[in-house]
Amino acid sequence: MKMAAVAAIALAASISLSAQWINYPTPGVPKKADGAPNLDAPTPRTADGKPDLSGLWLLEKNLPCPKDGCPDMEVSREFVNLGWNVPGGVPYQPWAAALVKARREQNGKDDPGANCHPTGIVKETINPFFRKLIQLPGLLVILMERDTVYRQIFTDGRPLLTDPLPTPNGYSIGKWDGDTLVVETSGFIDGEWLDRAGNPLTESGKIIERYHRVNYGLMELEITVDDPKAYTKPWTAKVKEFIQPNTEMMDYFCLENEKSISHAVGK
Amino acid sequence: MHYIYLVTEKRSAILAATLLMMPALVSAQWLNYPTAGVPKNPDGTPNLTAPTLRTADGKPDFSGIWDTPKNRPCPPGGCPDQEVSQEFVNFGWSLKGGLPYQPWAAELVKARREQNGKDDPGSHCLPIGFLRLHTDAMYRKIIQLPGLLVMLNERNASFRQVFLDGRPLPVDPNPSWNGYSTGKWDGDTLVVETNGFHDGEWLDRSGSPLTSEAKVTERLRRVNYGQMEVDVTVDDPKAYTKPWTVKLPLMLVLNTELLDDNCLESEKDIPHLVGK
Repeated sequence: MKMAAVAAIALAASISLSAQWINYPTPGVPKKADGAPNLDAPTPRTADGKPDLSGLWLLEKNLPCPKDGCPDMEVSREFVNLGWNVPGGVPYQPWAAALVKARREQNGKDDPGANCHPTGIVKETINPFFRKLIQLPGLLVILMERDTVYRQIFTDGRPLLTDPLPTPNGYSIGKWDGDTLVVETSGFIDGEWLDRAGNPLTESGKIIERYHRVNYGLMELEITVDDPKAYTKPWTAKVKEFIQPNTEMMDYFCLENEKSISHAVGK
Repeated sequence: MHYIYLVTEKRSAILAATLLMMPALVSAQWLNYPTAGVPKNPDGTPNLTAPTLRTADGKPDFSGIWDTPKNRPCPPGGCPDQEVSQEFVNFGWSLKGGLPYQPWAAELVKARREQNGKDDPGSHCLPIGFLRLHTDAMYRKIIQLPGLLVMLNERNASFRQVFLDGRPLPVDPNPSWNGYSTGKWDGDTLVVETNGFHDGEWLDRSGSPLTSEAKVTERLRRVNYGQMEVDVTVDDPKAYTKPWTVKLPLMLVLNTELLDDNCLESEKDIPHLVGK
């Protein structure tokens, strides 16, 4: 509960909405007989017959609102705790369980995202901001509203690196498994948070994402965390993303006019 | 990682020594991965003067990774790890008489210079604004799509979008660092117009200002396979007595890849940024 409140406060900080390109029509949206977007239309495909994941996407908002009303920016359950639905709970190593408990007791004040640091690919995927996927031959680019950052997923056949320089986003390659794009990422820095709960990701961690565009409007995404240093076995979260026609991303910068960090306190 | 560049020659060596000696990000990885589809000379080397690539609709294709010219002489103590261009230091260095500042803007630039540019938004890990993304020493990758041009910048792993789908510029936009950009073709030149900046952006390390009144026009031309030119025209009557134009060359970079740079990562410099 406290976690949700913190998330709400942290996210309500600088929301910029005004009527401009956020109402501009998206070309090529399949329509129903009455002119409304047909979100159940078939998945678009690229020239080579593969599903085209391109589009502006937003994660399902599946976290119930508090009694006094929904926050301006609703988050998903996964944003609060990526492993909320894992049968038997997240399989922590003992030190990781203790760390998550300590982070929770401190209201997650050291969350890199709350301190305007990069949040890493998992939290970028489960945050409540828009993401624009651009699928090219050999490359999938993801543009993210939060801090206007990008991520590249190479689909040109290059192998993952054996000893990469660690970065917040790591290094990603993708391969098709039928109509599902399987993305593997490694090469993370130590100390990343997967979610607001503070579930850790270590530099030994590997993230596997399975992108399946079910139809025009829906993307199903499985995120598997394979990080034996922090977890006793791999575990998987399943999320949904919805296409967002007729709008556009807006620049958001965490550090701009930033006044919250000094008020982020623990117990 | 976080970098600062020098306004005066004297300080340049010191700043270069203290602030540019960041861990050099060169290890054998995707930085050496071959670029696909490079035109070759008979001897197998890349043919950088090959004709400009074109998209299916016959327009020049700006896609690729691009670098700035290293046109700034190195200090006597040697070149810094990351060499910057003259335009990064002073956007109007090639203009006779320099940038046509309004009196208040000239005062501001003088004051910023005297304070070693310590309040540069970029030095505080804020966005540097899109014009400095053309002069920044870090790589940028251009991705050209039907209806959209995307620029990915190594610095803070950030992006900028230029819409080519015919939409008009917004009339009263919410001000932003990168503003709002649309592009139209004029023959083989892509003409990009941008408005909607917020006040307080720095165009260069000297602190040349850009105000919320500004309208910026960029004319992008890919001269050949290996080279492009961006003519930047800044029309900002609040800060400058007349519109001015600067030509920025960019060179194609092959067989490498962008590396994420995050200004705030392990950031230790900000408390040490002092003025006079």
